[in-house]
Parts: sequence; structure tokens; C-alpha cells
Amino acid sequence: MINLLSPIQYIFIVAIVLYILDSVWEVGSLFRPGTFSKRLSNYFILTGLSFHCAFLIVVSIRSGTLPITTLFESSTFYLSLIVLLSVILKFLYRLQSLTPFVMPIVTGFSIASVALVRNDLALTYNLKTFWLFAHIIPLFLGYASFTISFIFSIMYLTQERQLKKKSFGPLFESLPSLETLDALMWKTITLGFPLLTIGLVAGTVWAKTSNILGLLWYLDPKVTLGALTWLIYAAILHLRLGASFHGTKVAIVTIAGFVVVILTFIGPFLMGHKHGYEKGSVKFEQEIAPEPPGIAKVKS
Amino acid sequence: MNLHTVGLNHDSAPVEIREKIAFSASSVPIALSSFTQTFPLSEAVILSTCNRVEIYATSPDNSLNKEALLDFFSAFHGLPKEKFADHMYHHQDMNAVRHLFFVSSSLNSGVLGETQIISQVKEAYTTATAAETTGSMLNQLFQRSLTVAKDVHTKTSIGKGNISVSTVAVDLAIKVFKDFSDKTIFIIGAGEMCELVLKHLVERGANTAIVANRNYDKAKSLAEEYDGKAINYENLDDYLPQADIVISSTASPRPVIHTEHIKSAIKTRRGNPMLLIDIAVPRDIDPKIAKIDNVYLYNIDDLQTVANNNAKDRKKDIGKCVLIIDKEVEKFMAWFEELKIGPAITQLRNHFHEIGEQELERLRPKLGEIAHEEWEHIVYSMQRTLNKILHKPAKVGKEKAKNGGGYQYVETIKHLFGIHHKDETKK
Repeated sequence: MINLLSPIQYIFIVAIVLYILDSVWEVGSLFRPGTFSKRLSNYFILTGLSFHCAFLIVVSIRSGTLPITTLFESSTFYLSLIVLLSVILKFLYRLQSLTPFVMPIVTGFSIASVALVRNDLALTYNLKTFWLFAHIIPLFLGYASFTISFIFSIMYLTQERQLKKKSFGPLFESLPSLETLDALMWKTITLGFPLLTIGLVAGTVWAKTSNILGLLWYLDPKVTLGALTWLIYAAILHLRLGASFHGTKVAIVTIAGFVVVILTFIGPFLMGHKHGYEKGSVKFEQEIAPEPPGIAKVKS
Repeated sequence: MNLHTVGLNHDSAPVEIREKIAFSASSVPIALSSFTQTFPLSEAVILSTCNRVEIYATSPDNSLNKEALLDFFSAFHGLPKEKFADHMYHHQDMNAVRHLFFVSSSLNSGVLGETQIISQVKEAYTTATAAETTGSMLNQLFQRSLTVAKDVHTKTSIGKGNISVSTVAVDLAIKVFKDFSDKTIFIIGAGEMCELVLKHLVERGANTAIVANRNYDKAKSLAEEYDGKAINYENLDDYLPQADIVISSTASPRPVIHTEHIKSAIKTRRGNPMLLIDIAVPRDIDPKIAKIDNVYLYNIDDLQTVANNNAKDRKKDIGKCVLIIDKEVEKFMAWFEELKIGPAITQLRNHFHEIGEQELERLRPKLGEIAHEEWEHIVYSMQRTLNKILHKPAKVGKEKAKNGGGYQYVETIKHLFGIHHKDETKK
């Protein structure tokens, strides 16, 4: 499969290799800080991210739009935002234990995303509209933010388990306090929620005005699941803000929220629903699907 | 090298002997000056703590040995030698250096890895410098011992992980809470242990404390000490929802905190975690409470286990520490050898150049009228020749110093050129 990659895609392979090294180093530095130096892992993650971004930039320049024209591109775009956000949080809060949790997951997804290279679903609409940017950028940033909050809830539950079970190993040492994790979980959710809202509103307006999803746009599985995601995170907000709930419950609901995020992201594709992606050699904005006559009437 | 240390510690002598040999902080300078009166050329440092009493002394002559130092202890404390001599150890030269490095790195301490000894060694050294009883040798030795101690502590786990129950309790608290400034500490039973934990928490920023005790006055006095609030023991349950950290150590034979108390407290707290530390035996907090969500309960055994494991981890690193120390001892010995080589080389250089100057003086009148420039050439040429001859012995000397054997080398050179004798007559 690898030899079917285009030269540009090899840039991403380099990023994956660096991410694999980083994952080993990040996890290793938790348990054997003497052998796996933190400086080296910083180097791996930063160069890995640079290659990753370079890949996306080249792709964007070639297509003239966001790197979301294929499922493979969207996945890598989403993954790059996760890495970017965790690197920012790592240095902002001096969090040594975030990336050891993030990087193995990102690495795994990156490798899996390579399998999507040959997937010939491609985006069919005018890809340079304002609405695409207004829809995609907030949504992807929101998803990345929710992913990190999911990681924080995993960390929270791990630390909480260790406190309950009284197992105070190296992992216990390197994880921050429950209160810190709770606060970070909350911060990333409150960052993601407005972004999700903006993305969904923009998408709704776009679907209504351009009819790209057809008349029954609200029955598109991705739209329905998007609404469900919004509801779940609204519920979390309510739990924390309204009922001022903390602790394990919030962590568990956050995990549930993320499961829906992932479902929204790839679920419809797995089920064969397309949400704007078409099979075949449809390429970029030149080939916009002709509007069915019925829709034209509604439009006018 | 003539470096000696004689002393005793918690391993070699019981407290009855240690207290007789110990020097009080005020008597150390007196002892030091009396020591240097007895041994005028010597340098000395006295280290006297509750766990050890040691004297480090060096002298260029051969006046110092174990007996002489024992005599000093005996004379100063007015104690017959037989009474304590059996408990005293003696180390000489390299072993004395090694011993001091072990002591300052706290490998020789009752509590392995404790850091108090570093400041004690530092203080012993400053006292001696103030009393002007240290010279180039002990200055170097003690400064290095402090650097070694720091190195050992940063590069190994010898001082890592708390090994006392009260500090382990704080270690757990910092894994539940980010900071203590907005947290309420609830102390039940105003015992010593509770106070110790509270003290550590206050050091880390805690500033709200509630104290409940059967004896209200006792609660009040502890609460006042930490700007806290004393409450009636009967109203204990009412205050539980406010408490983020509960530390309990009452003498009650039955649990004082029950499951329903904590269940309702955590409900009021809306899932905000609670840390409960039960250091009482028999236990104060119903162990079933540990099952409640967002409640973390630890008893004295849990804390003790953590403390013991940390102590074990410290022991594991002893080998690493010894490696660092041995390397540093070697470095110190090399420095010491170089110390001797340096002046010897200078002497040799002076000796050669003196001869050169004499020869030039003899030559000058013989040449008659020559240009100043030409004479400069001759002088320059002479100096160059001498420096070239001297280059090799100086270089070899430094190498010898590093690899040991510097001492013999110096002696040989002095012997070879007859500088030893001449130099002493000069003085």
C-alpha cells in the first residue's frame, strides 16, 4: 500500500515515524525518566508536528482549499489540530503527562488514516465558499478540543483509580492532581463548545442556503449526530455550571461525549452516508453536482 | 596527606557516650582554637550534631594521629580515654575524604537521604572558617563535600519520596488538590500527629482550618495557633461538608465518622472530592466510606506502607551514590596531588631561571660593546631554552598528579636538582 502513496504523502509518513518515536519516548519517560529524556521527546513531537503541518500546507496549496477534500486529508487535519493543541497545553501548563496519553492515540489514528489514502470518496462541492471555512474550521478545532478533554477525563479516571486502589507507582507520580485535571477538562470543553456551536450554525445556514445536502438536510446522519454531540456537551455544561457537579461523573459524561464526536466524524462514512463526499474521481470545485430541478424551485 | 578524622556516631556509640563527647554550638570555636594551639600548623573542623561528633584535622608535619586526636577529646571534655575510645572510629587520608563525602551525602545518617546533615556540615565548616582554623586543604575538602552532597541528591533518588507518615499524607493531598489556599482542613482530635500534618499543609498554602476535639480548650489552642476555628465536638457532622481534607486521630474506641455523614457531605459538595486521613488506632473513620465516589480514605497503615516503600527506593540508590562519591574522592585526591606539584614546578622553574640569570650576568661584561637589541636576543634565547627544558617535567608532573604518584615525582625532582634544601634555607 505504501508504494501507492504520492510523494507529498511521504511527508506525512515522516511525521508518523516521528510520532511513533515520540510515543515511545513519552510513555518511556513516565516510567524510566533516566533512559527516555524529555528533551528528546520534545524534539520528536515538534519536528513531527512540523512535518505534519508541512504536509497539510502543501496539500492545501495544491487543492486551493482546506485539507479536507478526501477522508484521509480530513483525518490528518483533525489529528494535527490535536497535536497542536496538546503541545500548546503542555508548554502552557507545564504538563508532562498529557502527551504520553495523547501521542499513542494520535499515532494509532495516524497509521489508521493511511489506510484511507485509497478511499476514493471526495468532496464534491464548491470548496472555496466562505461557508466551508465557517463550517469546517470551528468544527475541527472544537473536535480537537473535545478530544483533549476526553484525554483529560481518561487521565482523571486513571488518577482517581490509583487513589482509590492505593497504587502509587510512577504513573501516579507523574499525573497531576484530580483538581488540576478536572479544571483542564472543563477548560477544553468550554473552549470546544462555542466552536462546535459556531460550526453547526454555519453548517446549518450553508445547508439551508445552498441545498447541498438536499431538502431533508436535517435527516443527514452527520447533521443528526452533530446535534446529538451538541446536546451532550450542553448537558455537561449544565452539570458543571448549573448543578456545579465535579469529579468522576463529569469525567464519564465527557468520555461519552467524545464517543459521539468520533461517531459523528467517521460513523456516517462507515454506514455509507456521504455528507457531501462522493465516490469516484470527482475532483475539486470544477465538478459541482448538478442541482436536481426540485431543489431549484425551493431555492427561488 | 596527613588528613585524619576521629569521631563517633549513632551506630558506633550510644547516646550516653555521644552526649559526653558532643560540643555545643558555643564550645566549638573554643575547642577549635585550643586544638590549633596544641597543633600550631594544623587545620581543623569540628562536626557535632545529635547523631555524630567528628573532628577533621590535617597538618603538614606528622604530629597528628589517632592517639593525638583521642587525647584532644579526652583533654577537652575532661574524660578518661578508656571511657569512649572504643566507640571512636578513625579514618586517614583518602578514607577520611571518603568518610566526609559519605556523611555530607547523608549515606551515613540514621535517616537515609535526609538533607539536614548538609546544612550541619556547612555550619561546621563556616564556624571553623570564622575561627580561622581552616586552610587551603580543609577549605577545598569541605567545599567539595557540599558539592558532592548536592550532586548525590540531584542525580539519585536518595532523598526522593517522603518517608514519614505526616509528609506522605501531604503527598497524597497534592494528588487530589491543586492548591490548598481555598481548601478547608478539618482536624478531629488535636493530637501531635494531626498538628504535624496541618503544619505541612499550612507550609504549602493552606489557610483555613477547623479543629474539633473532646477537650474544647485543646481544640481552641491548636486552632488559634493556625488561625483556625475551634468547634464543639458534638457538632462535628455539621462541618463535614465544608471540609476538603479531614485528618482524624481521636482516642475514641469506635469510629467517629460514619458512612451516612460522608454520603450526605459529598452530596452537599456536589462531587467535589474529599480526602480523609485516619491516623487513629483504633480507626476513627468507618472503612466502608472508601467505597463512596469522590472520597479518598487512607489509614495509618496505608501511609506507613508508602513511607516504607519510599525508604526502600532510597536504599536501592545507595550503589549509585557510592559510585558518584568514589569518583569525587578520586578527583579530590588528584587535586591534592596537583596542589603539591604546583609549588614544586614553580620552585624548579625559579631554580633554572636563577641559574640562567647568573650565567647571563657572567656573560655580559665579556661581550663588551654590543647593541641593546643583540643583548635582548641573547636573553630571549636563554629564556626560551630554559622554558623548553622545563616544559616536559612540568607536563609529566601534572600527569603524575592526576594518575597518582605525584608525591614521589616531586621528591625525585627536588632530589635531582637539589632544590629542596636550598628552598628551605631561603625561608
